[in-house]
Amino acid sequence: MASQPAATSIEHAKRVDRLLGQPPWRRFLRAWWLGLRIVKVTLRSQAEYRGEFITTILTGIVWQSSIIVFATVILTRFSGMGHWRSGDVLLIAAVRMLGHGLYVLAFGRVPFDVFNLIQEGSMTGFLLRPMPVYRQVQLSKFPTNAIGDLAVAIFLLIAAMTRSTVHWTLPNIAYLICAVLGGMFVISAISTALSSAAMHYPATGYWSSWTHELIETFGAYPLSILPRAVGGLLTFGLPLAFISYLPVGVLAGHSHQLGVPKWLAVASPLVGLLLFVASRLQWNRSLRRFAGVNG
Amino acid sequence: MTATSAWPRAWRVARITPLGELSTPPRLTATAIRLAVQIFLRVALWRGLYATTTTSAGLSRSQTVTFVVLATLSARVRVMDRYVGRDAVVQHLQFGTIAYWYLRPIEARKYHAIRALGDQLYGLGWMIVGYVICRLVGVLDGPASPTAAVAFGASALAGQLVFYRISLLTDLACFWTLRNNGAVMVVNMAQNLLAGIYAPLWFFPQWFRTMAAILPFQYTLNSPLSLYIGRIPAADGLRVIGVQLGWLAGLTILTRWLWTRVPARLTVQGG
Repeated sequence: MASQPAATSIEHAKRVDRLLGQPPWRRFLRAWWLGLRIVKVTLRSQAEYRGEFITTILTGIVWQSSIIVFATVILTRFSGMGHWRSGDVLLIAAVRMLGHGLYVLAFGRVPFDVFNLIQEGSMTGFLLRPMPVYRQVQLSKFPTNAIGDLAVAIFLLIAAMTRSTVHWTLPNIAYLICAVLGGMFVISAISTALSSAAMHYPATGYWSSWTHELIETFGAYPLSILPRAVGGLLTFGLPLAFISYLPVGVLAGHSHQLGVPKWLAVASPLVGLLLFVASRLQWNRSLRRFAGVNG
Repeated sequence: MTATSAWPRAWRVARITPLGELSTPPRLTATAIRLAVQIFLRVALWRGLYATTTTSAGLSRSQTVTFVVLATLSARVRVMDRYVGRDAVVQHLQFGTIAYWYLRPIEARKYHAIRALGDQLYGLGWMIVGYVICRLVGVLDGPASPTAAVAFGASALAGQLVFYRISLLTDLACFWTLRNNGAVMVVNMAQNLLAGIYAPLWFFPQWFRTMAAILPFQYTLNSPLSLYIGRIPAADGLRVIGVQLGWLAGLTILTRWLWTRVPARLTVQGG
């Protein structure tokens, strides 16, 4: 910066050199420490608007509760949904919901906040700072609604586990944890891919709310109740089935009727991770070609 | 302001959203695809649910599918994306451009109402096109009777006005809270659940329907659509419309009073 005094520039350069000279684990810890400090600041800024802060927490609770109410109504009125027991259907909804809650907590600023950041020109500023842009995007706002999302999701998961036909042995519990994390990665991958597209096509925002609506509406039921072609589209077109339907199908013993080979259904959490890695690579590629808006 | 100059001005305000939408063909294509896929998937879901039964909660398969398709089309009338055009009240407050609302030769209250009217008429266009196509492909039944059709028309209009007043409340709240994203989302979700966009309220337990009956949301959609499919007899149409008009009167008085308080609360940020 031209107006910066020379002494300050040298001091800054020395600090950067010292940081780069540190072992990777120290740099990793420093990055986390800095991230947590930013989270603290964004939490304070969100809490500044008290009414909005409380209603945003309520949003998560109301939204997830409405999905539970709807799923419960459907299960009560229509028994044997796609030959699944109601407890197992609830488990599909619970795994999706917890995966979604974790996504909101860790990666929830993609895609919706990215549209605003691009439109307002903030993304261009992010390119100049010494921190990965993806991390800056995630740290740009405290995920207040994740509090409500996670609270309801944990409640539903416990309720679903007690009603499900699955025997909760240690391997099954371990697989359930992997399934939840896999679900989080699939939703994050879809959102990251949409954000990458938004760097070049502003109309992507319009598609994103619809994609999330699809995930929330159809991610909570066995896809076997839909026509086979539609189920295939929601597995290989939009990878919605990998969020919770396939892994819960494996746990509940429906592996033979999931519409995919058993090994693929079992590997759903890994598929989620791979999709996320692919979406991050696409994000990096899009970022290199990002020309910004607003001049 | 004379009546002759007021009408062209109102027309220019009302057509902002339609012109914006019509000048961006990708948005039109996206809307068409989105509506088609949404209807297709919802019809598939409900037909799948009815695979082992013919009637549930007093609704046949065709009644439920008709209700769900009409609810999906109606949602199009309701939700207009003002955010992308930076014309949401919360954005105007954030950017300071809300000041223009009080500098124009049209009252802010009237500007808001006329803009909303334009939005909803544009959405109605989509709904009518969707309705005709769905009738032609056979996923949608006609109204239960000619009387039911008339009752539905009157009730749908009253319901849409109630819906506008509820949305206006969330916008007006913004003048006090500066941000209303959370409030808008909570109201939208309550609206989706309690108005019957997710599923007809007839499927819900009695305690839930009792709760819904004391709130205005179900009168915006569930009641008109129930008249259309005949789940509420057409003879009860007047009672339903009476309740809607009661809600409309109450909400209109409240929002008119809030509009009078807004200038004292107005904070112009930015510059």
